[in-house]
Amino acid sequence: MRSLLEFREYLRVFYSKYDVYIKPAGKFLLAFVVLQVINARLGYMSRIDSVSMVLIAALMCSFMPRNFVVICATAFILLHLYALSIECAIVGLLLFFIMFLLFFRFASKDTVVVAILPVLFVMKIPYVIPVAMGLLATPVSAVSVGCGVAVYYFLHFITENEPALTAMGEDDMMTRFRFIVDGLLANKGMLVLIIAFAITIAVVYIVRRLAINYAWTIAMIAGVLVQLVVLLFGDLVAETGVSIAGVILGSVLALAVGKVLEFFFFNLDYPRTEKVQFEDDEYYYYVKAVPKVTVTTPEKRVKKISSKQ
Amino acid sequence: MISEERIILMTRMASYEDNEGKKNIAIGNYFRSDYLSLQVLKAVLCGTIVYFMLVGAYILYHFEELMSDIYEMDLMGTGKKLLTIYLISVGIYALISYVVCAWKYHNARKNLKHYYNNLRKLNALYKTR
Repeated sequence: MRSLLEFREYLRVFYSKYDVYIKPAGKFLLAFVVLQVINARLGYMSRIDSVSMVLIAALMCSFMPRNFVVICATAFILLHLYALSIECAIVGLLLFFIMFLLFFRFASKDTVVVAILPVLFVMKIPYVIPVAMGLLATPVSAVSVGCGVAVYYFLHFITENEPALTAMGEDDMMTRFRFIVDGLLANKGMLVLIIAFAITIAVVYIVRRLAINYAWTIAMIAGVLVQLVVLLFGDLVAETGVSIAGVILGSVLALAVGKVLEFFFFNLDYPRTEKVQFEDDEYYYYVKAVPKVTVTTPEKRVKKISSKQ
Repeated sequence: MISEERIILMTRMASYEDNEGKKNIAIGNYFRSDYLSLQVLKAVLCGTIVYFMLVGAYILYHFEELMSDIYEMDLMGTGKKLLTIYLISVGIYALISYVVCAWKYHNARKNLKHYYNNLRKLNALYKTR
């Protein structure tokens, strides 16, 4: 444990020393991965389906604000959809307009989740996000998470039904439009997942804010269990066809990620908790103070041994 | 001479100004009523744009039926229905915006109060130099 804590201190020092480079590099990496995944999954427009275009866009993202990644990803998605068919682009545009105009006004801080979540879906680990957001953000982040789920399901529907969409003739514009809208609205799996994620975020947030020992650990366990129950219940009611093994594996991974987050952001030494009471003119205070687990990094001493006397 | 207390205080305040404080100071420049009315106005505007887009999508979706029934349709009735749905949906969205923004304003003011207290403390530290 001590070596882990020392490692954390090293990381902290390293980050504070080089954050001028780490932040842009992180944004670059995020944009690169997101755009590469979009190109690999959609890739209908050959002009932007190249590593050089992705590199240029990712470089641009590295020195722009974090949410610019979402705008870049949206532009890439819409261009690919436009290349596939104009109706796909119209529905996509409508979806993104609704998100940007109605929802992101409230949760501008964690909009980037919308770009990360579809990538996690591709990696089959989306269940990590609600636990992580419940631990690190506020319940408002459920809005961004919900939008991310909707974006993934929309793109998934398009890629699944690409042959059917291209088989329809040029004159079947209305049929194609209806087909896409129906596919998006009738997707019960998406709705169940949005509800499950929103409830999980709320539960994790509420429990982790309670004044109880090991609040973060209890919060993530409670969140994962609630998520599991809601998903299974959703499967029972709406027949969403969710993979139970996948959900359980994802939940275990969510717990692991939660523990890592707890180690970095909320590492408390509960056995040394102190309870104190005092008063001032206006209030009586019942204070419970839990110390953080800290270690000092050992200093490296370089001893020079030279043969010269 | 360098005062450690003053430097710690200034560093904390500078960090606040750079991060969370930036938004809070912008919000704090408004009176509560001004801030809320502006946000609700923005909400109504955004809601209206999205509503018209959704109506457009609905028309596109039911284009053929609408074209064949257009002469038998009760245009006044449909107009009234559309207006009612518009008022209700945009009204609900504006209400949600009002509640969220009021909460944001309250939090920003609370944080700014702490910030201004620190400013006063800093001022006092300079005076007692």
